[in-house]
Amino acid sequence: MHDSTFRPLAVSLIRKTFVLAAVCALLISALQAGVVYRQAQERFDLALRDIAQTSVPLLSVSIWDIEPETVRRQVQMLAERQRIGYVRLAVGTGQVFEAGNLALRGAKTAGNFPIPYPQRAEGSIGTLEITAEPGALYREVMLSIAGVLAGYGTLTLLICGLIVVLLRRDLQQPLRYIADFVTALQPERLTAPLRVERPAQHRRDEIDLVVEGFKTLQEGISDHIVNLDRLVAERTAQLESALESIQQLSIVDPLTGCFNRRLFNERLPREIERAARYGRPLSVIFSDIDYFKRINDRFGHLSGDEVLRKVALIYLEDLRVGVDWVARYGGEEFVIVLPETQLASAQATAERLRCDIEAATVICEQCERRAIRLTASFGVVQHQPGETPQALLERADTLLYQAKAAGRNCVLPKVCEVIPARSEA
Amino acid sequence: MIRLLALLCCLAPLSAAAFSAVFINPGKADEVYWLTAARAMEAAAKSLDVRLEVRFAERDHLRTLEIAREIAARPAGQRPDYAIVSNDYATGPELLRLLDAAGIGIFLAYSGISSNAERQVTGKPRERYRKWIGSLEPRAEDAGYLTAQALIQKGRQNKGQGLDGKLHLLALSGDRSTPSSLRRSEGMRRAASEARDVTLDQEVYADWNRDKAAEKSDWLFERYPAARLVWAGNDLMAFGAMQSWEKRAGQPGRDAWFSAINTSGEAMEAVRSGRLAALAGGHFIAGAWALVLIYDYAHGYDFADEGIELERPMFTLFSADDAGRFVARFGDLRFDGVDFRRFSKALNPKLKHYDFSFQQLLR
Repeated sequence: MHDSTFRPLAVSLIRKTFVLAAVCALLISALQAGVVYRQAQERFDLALRDIAQTSVPLLSVSIWDIEPETVRRQVQMLAERQRIGYVRLAVGTGQVFEAGNLALRGAKTAGNFPIPYPQRAEGSIGTLEITAEPGALYREVMLSIAGVLAGYGTLTLLICGLIVVLLRRDLQQPLRYIADFVTALQPERLTAPLRVERPAQHRRDEIDLVVEGFKTLQEGISDHIVNLDRLVAERTAQLESALESIQQLSIVDPLTGCFNRRLFNERLPREIERAARYGRPLSVIFSDIDYFKRINDRFGHLSGDEVLRKVALIYLEDLRVGVDWVARYGGEEFVIVLPETQLASAQATAERLRCDIEAATVICEQCERRAIRLTASFGVVQHQPGETPQALLERADTLLYQAKAAGRNCVLPKVCEVIPARSEA
Repeated sequence: MIRLLALLCCLAPLSAAAFSAVFINPGKADEVYWLTAARAMEAAAKSLDVRLEVRFAERDHLRTLEIAREIAARPAGQRPDYAIVSNDYATGPELLRLLDAAGIGIFLAYSGISSNAERQVTGKPRERYRKWIGSLEPRAEDAGYLTAQALIQKGRQNKGQGLDGKLHLLALSGDRSTPSSLRRSEGMRRAASEARDVTLDQEVYADWNRDKAAEKSDWLFERYPAARLVWAGNDLMAFGAMQSWEKRAGQPGRDAWFSAINTSGEAMEAVRSGRLAALAGGHFIAGAWALVLIYDYAHGYDFADEGIELERPMFTLFSADDAGRFVARFGDLRFDGVDFRRFSKALNPKLKHYDFSFQQLLR
């Protein structure tokens, strides 16, 4: 802030005031010089008249009474008067009295006064010559100007000093405070209120206008920021929901609402790993809708889709929420993963599902609302220690194939049937 | 009978000292006139057996009052019986007040109370100030008149008239305030106005001073080329004027004539040589006469029957012979030869009137 080009407002104001005052002082001094010059001239003329009226009669008596000491004193007193440089009194009887600056002897005189006799009207008893002091007028004028300048200068300095104090207090300090405040503003403290210390009982002025304007600006900015925040939240929510649906799309089969094959491939190894880590049982049911191709052909693809949706719905409703999960493995094949489930339980679950499907019907809207009967086949396996997901699935697939081969609408192994564990995948 | 008794009472202590007195001399101890006055008083005191103390104020009126205060402050037994003082520089009223309060008898000699303003304060002797017994002044006008008259006579004899046929007179007076100075001038003016052939060209004041008189004379001789007579209020001013005249290549006593007042040796010499045309003096004796009056008063011979404020002729015009006698008799300021007892009424009961002229001492 304190760079070389910066100059406080008060300083530049005072500079201008001072220059103006100096110019005024010069003008006034010139005027004063003229007036003093004239006054001094008039005073000198007056002094000369005064000499003629008072000193000459006194001198006349002193000379007549032959009082040389008195005459000398009077001449000396005359010479000591302001602006009188040299006085010479020549008495008719030959005596000469002189006083003052003897170097002025013979210079042009300012006044010649014949000294009359005290009693007689005519004739003179002596002559008084007054010579002006040449530098006195100049000195008087200079002295007077110096006086005026000193007085004016003192007054100007006092007034300027007062203005500086007032400017500092009323203008510079509030402005500087506002400037510092604005400079120090941080985004998070943008709405901090600007409070300028003003003397009590002051009237509303430009500083207050600035403060008020700043307040208005702060409010505008604050509103704008709040608005922006709301917009951002809105957009973020939209984005989040969009992202969610995208994610949903990426892991869920759009037709059935079950997880898709991709998610299944990802999630099954994690389930197996967890079951293995904690030594918990894990079972998988592989199911396939019986004669789905035929349903598609006889009732159309829309009905096929409806069938798929119905089967998925049955699965999702029948299974333990949050524990079991279903994925559409492809076409009309679904894989059901049952954590924490022994094979027997899994078999029972598969059986329950098979019964539910058998009991369900799907209405074909396109073909005179004919009811479509459904069945499904199931292969159930329990994960064996060390078994890979592929091996597990292959085992289930094989059982499913066997169930198909055994006439469909059944669960293999049968509930009572004990399936010997295969030694390898 | 009563008078005789009083006389006897007063004569009784005469064997020791009649009384004691102080003279506060306003002049300087080296000033011829005032020294002469003091010497004459001392001689009178000696012959009258009075214990006299003379104090000089050196022409400083504050000093005069200081001396008076000092005397008044003395223990009662050491205070003098009488103080003889002069009303010079208007010190009279204050001196009277101071000394009267101290119970000292006061006698004013040389200068008495004259102005109305002073009179308002002092009143008359023996009234407001009961110890103020009287005063004696030489009749100063005589000095001015006698010298001016003699001077004019000299001018006439020597044909000193100007082109207008008149004798032109210049006057050098002492000062504008001392009564004796004014009276001397008055006498001079009276003599000049009585003489129809005399013009008083101008009277100036030279402050009793020789140099001032010389300087003023330079101006006057220039201003009045016809003036040949110069009257002076004392001897010093006359000598100053002569000096100025001699500077103009004049010869006093031959082509211009001068008069003076006072009995200085130089003045006496000038009278004898003819440089001074006229000289009056002898009034220094007033102090000695004052002692005689006090002596008589102290011995029951009150001078009141002749007046308590006396102004008497004392001045004598000195001829060349008088001057010779004066120098011969009193040249060294010794007045021991004078027996002042013979002027006392107390000691000379046949004496009816006091004669205060100096002339009698030259006979």
